[in-house]
Amino acid sequence: MIRLENVTKSYSTEIVAVRDASFDVAKGEFVFLVGPSGSGKSTLLRMLNRQDRPERGAVWVAGRNIVDMPPSRVPHLRRNIGNIFQDYKLLLEKNVFENVAFAQEVIGRPTHVIKQQVPAVLELVGLAGKEDRLPHQLSGGEQQRVSVARAFVNRPLIMLADEPTGNLDPATGEGIMRLLDRINKTGTTVVMATHDQRIVNTMRKRVIQLDRGVIVRDQARGVYE
Amino acid sequence: MLSRLRYILRETLDSFRRNATLTLASIITAAISLLGVGLTLLSQHAFDNLLARWEGGVEMIVFMNPTATGDQLTLVNDALTTSDQFIESFEYCDEICSLEEADRIFAGEPGVRDLLTEDTILTQFKAVPTEGTDVDLLRQVSDQFAELPGVYDVSFAEDQISLISQLQSFFGFRLLLLSVFLLLAAILLIWNTIRTAIFARRREIEVMKLVGATDWFIRIPFMLEGLLHGIIGGVLASAGLWAWNSQWTSGVESFPDNSGFSALVVVDGYDQTVMLIMLVIGALAGAIGSGIAASRFLDI
Repeated sequence: MIRLENVTKSYSTEIVAVRDASFDVAKGEFVFLVGPSGSGKSTLLRMLNRQDRPERGAVWVAGRNIVDMPPSRVPHLRRNIGNIFQDYKLLLEKNVFENVAFAQEVIGRPTHVIKQQVPAVLELVGLAGKEDRLPHQLSGGEQQRVSVARAFVNRPLIMLADEPTGNLDPATGEGIMRLLDRINKTGTTVVMATHDQRIVNTMRKRVIQLDRGVIVRDQARGVYE
Repeated sequence: MLSRLRYILRETLDSFRRNATLTLASIITAAISLLGVGLTLLSQHAFDNLLARWEGGVEMIVFMNPTATGDQLTLVNDALTTSDQFIESFEYCDEICSLEEADRIFAGEPGVRDLLTEDTILTQFKAVPTEGTDVDLLRQVSDQFAELPGVYDVSFAEDQISLISQLQSFFGFRLLLLSVFLLLAAILLIWNTIRTAIFARRREIEVMKLVGATDWFIRIPFMLEGLLHGIIGGVLASAGLWAWNSQWTSGVESFPDNSGFSALVVVDGYDQTVMLIMLVIGALAGAIGSGIAASRFLDI
């Protein structure tokens, strides 16, 4: 599903965010990217949805090298990738339903499909009955659930999560992880960047560890070290 | 398709509401600048009305009495034909032609125009001099035309055209310059309004890009917004131009008949053409301003 081949990305001559990174992620796999701040986790995620492009190497997603993908094709790539962020990135003036529906609306899904699929995904993330609430009327955990629902509503092949539990207390974070695990079990590949030692150690999924842009460990059913 | 259209319209109207002050400012600026363009075109047309009888390089007009006989007309016609060293061509403007011309010249004085009939209108021989002919020489030669029977008067373009042309270029150039500057200001203001709208919605745009919206899908509501600024500005300017022209026309009617202002009104439907031009320019200005902003600032 995902393959990185000798990928190097730098932001200046001094700052190399990712250096010569290579790994494969199979369809339906759940992978943690771990490492301290500035180790290159977020840069790796940004390269997977073509927000950033490496200077060297190839990034294969769903069988296509996206490094040289023409800009006009990038939106179509992103329709197969769901994104979750630490700060949720919800639209504050839209309610729960509208936030989730927005992801379908902007890719031209018909209204009847939106009316059918949004309630279903809100039910899945445990937000049924809260469709009319605005983000500021929700707890942090609920806001992250909206973000997960928005990322999942288009049934992406891949889910990229950048510190999704970073702003949540441990119990709420666990709830989000259960949700991601459930989504993963539907066949969606999940790649998640995190600092959260407890979550990584509990989930026992594949762990790719980065240190100053270099992959220093790639371990199946790994723990945080 | 329908849901996309609904989305685009909703987002455009939302943006209007969120940026109400800036939107109003850019619409008003667009309206004022377009009104300037419209007034320039209208005044140029009004001056053209004054110059109507001198169109086509005509430098000298021999006016014939309404009572002139066929023989007298033939005599003048022959005299002009034999003056081919001074006169390259001439044409006779009969009663119908002269009345049509009067429609334009006396557009602001319907009372005067009503007095003119086929029996009272002066018919005209309009002469185009040979290239290089000295107008002073032509003036001397024309003395003999003035003496011919049936001739009412001989007029020269130089006397009237120079003053009217001076006025036309004086007002036309300055008004046009002002309009161009105002139009540039309108484009810049629309550009800035769209840029602000994009900035205010950067989070939304970021999400749109991440979920796979195409650049055009994101751009269109912003471009439509700018286009509407220009079109609404054009509609307001058209209303202003209509009001101005109506006031001006009724005002000119009260001027004395010999004031020379009678032709400076536009009642031949040209004002509607100008309104259409203003709408098109408004739409173009809006599209250019918003198009540049939407292309340039969406990379967020």
